Amino acid sequence: MADNTQSEQLEKRAPDTPERDPIADSSMSGALLISSLLLVVTLLWSLYDEVVGQRPWRGYQRDFVSKYSEYLDTAKTRQGRSEAEIKDSPEYQALDEAYKTEKAAAEEKTRPIDAQSKLLDEKLTAVTAPFTDARSWIVAKTYQLEVTESESGKRSIRETIAERKQKKIDFKMPNDQGIEEEKSLTFPELEALYNGLRDEKARLGAERVQLTQARDAAQKKRDEYMQDHLGGLTAEQVGGLQKKVEDFKFEIKQINVGGVVIDRCESCHLGVREPIKLSRSDMGWTDGEYPDDDAEATAFVSHPNRELFKTHDPERFGCSTCHGGNGRGTTSVEKGHGRYKHWLWPLYYKENVEAGCNQCHNRDRVLQGAETLNRGKNLFQVRGCAGCHRYEAFDREADALSNARQSIKTLELERDDRRREITQTKAAADSAPSDEEAARLLKKAEALRQMISQVDARIDEFDIQAKYLMQDVKKIGPNLKEIKAKLRKDWIPVWLSDPQAFRPGTKMPTFRLDDDEIKAISAFLWQSALDVKLPTQPQGDSAHGKELFKTLGCLGCHSINGQAIDMGNQVIGGDFAANLSRVGEKANYDYIVRWVHNPRQRLAPYSPTLKRDLTPADYKKKNLPFVFDDDHSKSPVDGRELQIQNMTVMPNFRLSDQDARDIATFLSQQTRPGVNYPSASFLDDGSLSAQGKQLVQRYGCASCHEIKGLEDEQRIGTELTLEGSKPIERLDFALLQEPAMRGEDPVTGAESGRVGREGWYDHKGFFENKLRSPGIYDRGKVKTAEERLRMPNIYLPEKDVTALTTFLLGSVETNLPQSIRYNPSGGKKSVQDGWWVVQKYNCMGCHNVLVGEDSILMGLPMYQSADDREQLPPRLTSEGARVNPDWLLRFLKDPSQTTPAERASLAQAVAGHAQPGGDDWTPSLGLHSQPGANRNGVRRYLKARMPTFSFSPNELQALVNFFMGASSQAQPYIPEQLEPLAADEQGMARALFSSNAAPCLKCHMTGDPAHDAKATAPNFLLAPERLKPAWTRRWLLEPQLISPGTSMPSELFKRDQGHERWVFNGPTPPAFQTYEKDHVDLLVRYMFQISLEEQRRLGTGGGAPSAAPATPAAGSKTASVERKTRRGAGRPIAAIRAP
Amino acid sequence: MDWAQLWTIVSAPDNVPIVAMLFLVPFFLWLGLRQAKANDQLAEQLEGDPKLAKTHHRKTLPWKPHWARELHVWPYLLRIEFLAVIIVTVILFVWSITLNAPLEEPANPNLTMNPSKAPWYFLGLQEMLVYFDPWIAGVVMPSLMLVGLMAFPYVDSNPLGVGYYTWKQRKVAVGAFLWGFIMWIALIFIGTFIRGPGWVWFWPGQTWDHNVQLYEINRDLPDILGITSQPLKGIFGLLVVVAFYLIAGLAIHILITWSKFEKKIFERTTLLQYAVFQFFAITVLVSMPVKLLIRQLFRIKYVMVTPWFNI
Repeated sequence: MADNTQSEQLEKRAPDTPERDPIADSSMSGALLISSLLLVVTLLWSLYDEVVGQRPWRGYQRDFVSKYSEYLDTAKTRQGRSEAEIKDSPEYQALDEAYKTEKAAAEEKTRPIDAQSKLLDEKLTAVTAPFTDARSWIVAKTYQLEVTESESGKRSIRETIAERKQKKIDFKMPNDQGIEEEKSLTFPELEALYNGLRDEKARLGAERVQLTQARDAAQKKRDEYMQDHLGGLTAEQVGGLQKKVEDFKFEIKQINVGGVVIDRCESCHLGVREPIKLSRSDMGWTDGEYPDDDAEATAFVSHPNRELFKTHDPERFGCSTCHGGNGRGTTSVEKGHGRYKHWLWPLYYKENVEAGCNQCHNRDRVLQGAETLNRGKNLFQVRGCAGCHRYEAFDREADALSNARQSIKTLELERDDRRREITQTKAAADSAPSDEEAARLLKKAEALRQMISQVDARIDEFDIQAKYLMQDVKKIGPNLKEIKAKLRKDWIPVWLSDPQAFRPGTKMPTFRLDDDEIKAISAFLWQSALDVKLPTQPQGDSAHGKELFKTLGCLGCHSINGQAIDMGNQVIGGDFAANLSRVGEKANYDYIVRWVHNPRQRLAPYSPTLKRDLTPADYKKKNLPFVFDDDHSKSPVDGRELQIQNMTVMPNFRLSDQDARDIATFLSQQTRPGVNYPSASFLDDGSLSAQGKQLVQRYGCASCHEIKGLEDEQRIGTELTLEGSKPIERLDFALLQEPAMRGEDPVTGAESGRVGREGWYDHKGFFENKLRSPGIYDRGKVKTAEERLRMPNIYLPEKDVTALTTFLLGSVETNLPQSIRYNPSGGKKSVQDGWWVVQKYNCMGCHNVLVGEDSILMGLPMYQSADDREQLPPRLTSEGARVNPDWLLRFLKDPSQTTPAERASLAQAVAGHAQPGGDDWTPSLGLHSQPGANRNGVRRYLKARMPTFSFSPNELQALVNFFMGASSQAQPYIPEQLEPLAADEQGMARALFSSNAAPCLKCHMTGDPAHDAKATAPNFLLAPERLKPAWTRRWLLEPQLISPGTSMPSELFKRDQGHERWVFNGPTPPAFQTYEKDHVDLLVRYMFQISLEEQRRLGTGGGAPSAAPATPAAGSKTASVERKTRRGAGRPIAAIRAP
Repeated sequence: MDWAQLWTIVSAPDNVPIVAMLFLVPFFLWLGLRQAKANDQLAEQLEGDPKLAKTHHRKTLPWKPHWARELHVWPYLLRIEFLAVIIVTVILFVWSITLNAPLEEPANPNLTMNPSKAPWYFLGLQEMLVYFDPWIAGVVMPSLMLVGLMAFPYVDSNPLGVGYYTWKQRKVAVGAFLWGFIMWIALIFIGTFIRGPGWVWFWPGQTWDHNVQLYEINRDLPDILGITSQPLKGIFGLLVVVAFYLIAGLAIHILITWSKFEKKIFERTTLLQYAVFQFFAITVLVSMPVKLLIRQLFRIKYVMVTPWFNI
């Protein structure tokens, strides 16, 4: 617009040449043109954005097609080459020849049939059209008939239909010679003809299949040979893939899981499910040369664990269900992976990928294939996290116990109420106005009495449960009530100030305490401990103790410096329990003896109802001996169940007193030379105790330790069951939040590279940093000691940080449909539940429980040679199939298999020294005689000992169910009835048993002490009640399959093809010539019916199993048996070890 | 100075309009005022020269011989509007391609986001919640604003200034509008740029720290003056409010009758028109900034406290 300010001047100028009108005369076409062009350009831009910009997966798909077809080309050539090689091999040629012959023969036979069916097809084609035409007319009319209301109308339609059916239909059809003929048939005739032709065709088809069977079998054989010898796909199959790629459809590839999960991941990750295994380099990975190419190559690879697809079909489960990420997102990589602010479930990083398993498998203590997650769960339990942090299913006994106690309290109140009500009702009845009213009230009182008895029954039930749970509930740390008897006074403050320095890798975390706090805590703990003087034990034999320590199986859980047991300089053994390298510096010898002898034996029982430890005085009042064990578990004061065991998972090894002293002597010598701790006289300073108690409470020490007066402390930490789905805003990053949110490392100040939620400021970052340094979110805050974060430093190696982070990331509230969650039943449920017990007691320290996962002992240097491996505890991978569940339950309850007689004599001995006395601690302080001391119940030849765990009936049943479920055994087990042996069979079996070719009794125990000392397999007398016949049969046939490395010889039997049976693979006694039945069955039946007498007879009558080395028998077959059994260098016949 | 924080706010897709307004409002204000100034000069010139007024007859634009005396809407106006339509369309296209709609996470009823902010155009209203009772800030004030905007054309008794930019002839109308408009923009600006987590006042460039702890105690005016019992509080508040209305009314009266011209206009105004204008001007245009200032400067929460409502 023009400028007004100059209007005056303009006005004064002479209007000689009329000026152009700035509005009417100006053209705006230039501006219009340019802006219109701009509009067109933006329109095009928006189209481009719509088609390409918002659909980056198109580019991925294009690249995938080109890279994949390139790869398939090379694969085809490669496969083609090796295929050609195989085709040249004589085996293949022969198979191909067979196929060709069969093919020719089949063609010969099928030729007439093919001709016939060709004619048949022509006939059918001719008939079909007129037939279907007539039929549809009739069907339509029939429908009219059905819907017509009036009777007259119905009648007329019926007549029409009948008329039509009688009408002749004209059509042409070839006759048997193939010449067309005119035909004229009514509808029923036509229908019969049509159906007849179809039946004939079906018959011919079946006949043809019959005739080509031989050809197909030959082809299959040939192709299978090819498949077996060619790694991967055949060239033809690759060709099929190529065809598929050629027809590739550019579109969003979507999986829809019940409308809840919609995943389009495969729009870019196109190779995930390809039948050919694609690696990065297959898809053009250039080793970092072109970052963009690399990203694509990484995106196109196959799923690294395609085994998983068998149980997790992607069509049913989708991708983001397990991996996280925004399955719907297709506009960019960040969006799809959910790595942006507004997506709450980002893709798990590679190291945490197993977190995804946990949302469905959160009840699984052990999940096969998810090592990191399992490790995380293991750490959560073993490192005592569950002590402070509630997590559903972890430490469930403690929760169940408090629930049971609560229920008992409620029921008792209810009972009191009822009693009161009875009294009132009775009183009311006494003063009732009428007899009827009185009778009614008395009846009511009667009913109430019955209700009381019901309540009593429920209280009893809860009481029993409480008893079992008290047996099951364990603490991670030792009982601190016993430290006065156990520990050296001066050592305590040293330990508290830095547990890692004394015992690297210990479970005891380091609390951020100053010296005064340490003093206060030590003083409180020391003063609150039981003041008991243990009887002095004589010193034992350290060398023997060392030997026992090495061989009993202590190293399955404990570790020790290799020097102490002459095995190098490394720390060896398991990390489930303490490293004992310096145990002599902290513990008193007398206490170690007692502990090693029976760790479960407490100094004094604890009464949860009275909330104090009982003393001999309590027992004396009732004139009872101060004895508390499984049989004396009720309180003399109020009759309630007592805590009679130390809450440790360490089992009782049933050591003799002398062995316990030997081991204790060895352990108490485990010190660093010249150790001297500063005197800690302040431990007796009573003024520190109150502050100490406060600190102990604040830091939750009672979560892991039993501490006097703090038995009922609650967990002090936050519940973690759903920690992974906690909104990020609820995680307290404190002052580190602002820098973390913008992608700086709040500690170093460096750019973390990952921005916002992808670095520090996400769940992963929070967990990792918290685990690495639990006090980190106090950084920069001004807090009093009471306000500071309480979580102690745990010094986890990075691997463990990742494992725990994975576990916590997976601890989420799932919104997945029920149909895809893991809710096992039956045996699988038993396995799921049983793992909690198996892991709790670290069964895997000594046993191989899971196929492919070795026990700690199996990895120790002393079990590496074949002979030594025979000294390993048995593999339990097929335990459920092997043993009778009833027997297993008895065995787990008492692995020493003490007989009732032994038990009775022991009880007498206990009663003998347990007299009701004065303030006498002796019965609880001395070493009790133990049932089944110093022996294993089954494998008495093993030096490693199966200890007594004092499982509660709950855990016993869980374990038995676990083993049965793990071996897919049906429950309940009903033993198979075996056919009794005939007299001649007995003789034959006996002869076989003692023959030189099958020297069973050379290795199996017989009950003869001289022989058993060298035996390496259990006594046959145990078999009937212990084993399952079906398993025994499999064991005899293929022991190596069940227990690799066993010295039980394989190929003892061979297949007798003619009679469909197994026969002994070696020279058989003459009686067998006429025996028609299966030899394995015979032996199994013999074993299950063997008696003590029979065994004695074998020992004397048969091949003497004693001194004389067996001469290798003549005959090649026997020799092969011998060879298999011969393992150890110096031994004439290697030990043959059976289950 | 926390530039990262500032950039986070400025670059948020939600805030594009308000950031644009920071530039557009001054620009168009300048444009309009420039035109108004030119027009006012022309009006002055024409007043002094009636002859020129006759020849100079294309409203406020200068006119020359041979130019058309009047121009038709089509094509002269519509083609310009058409051009504007195209340009705005281009801008909207580019905007919608480059900035996607910010779809956020699913709402979590257990978790309120912090700061939790309304869309930018409602942030002025949300900011008003700081100064008034929710029902006053959320219901009464917005209603008054709408009714006031509707009423103002009818209380206007000034016949001049229709169809062209002018300042001299419509000082009261333009001034009142600008005052209200800029106040509104300012409230949105505060809501967008100043209010951080916990709706705490952060100056631009200060870090929006979620852990921020402030000592800010707001008290009611009667409490400050030691009036504690209820009827007194209410009565005292009422007096203060009445006094405020009187003082503000007087001030507005002085303002709108400042010059001779204004006085003339005032004389044309009926009592009803005058009263309506005063009511809206005081209630909306004056009370809002006054309340903001006494809150921010003197930490006074309410002036009038009754059991039913507070002002």
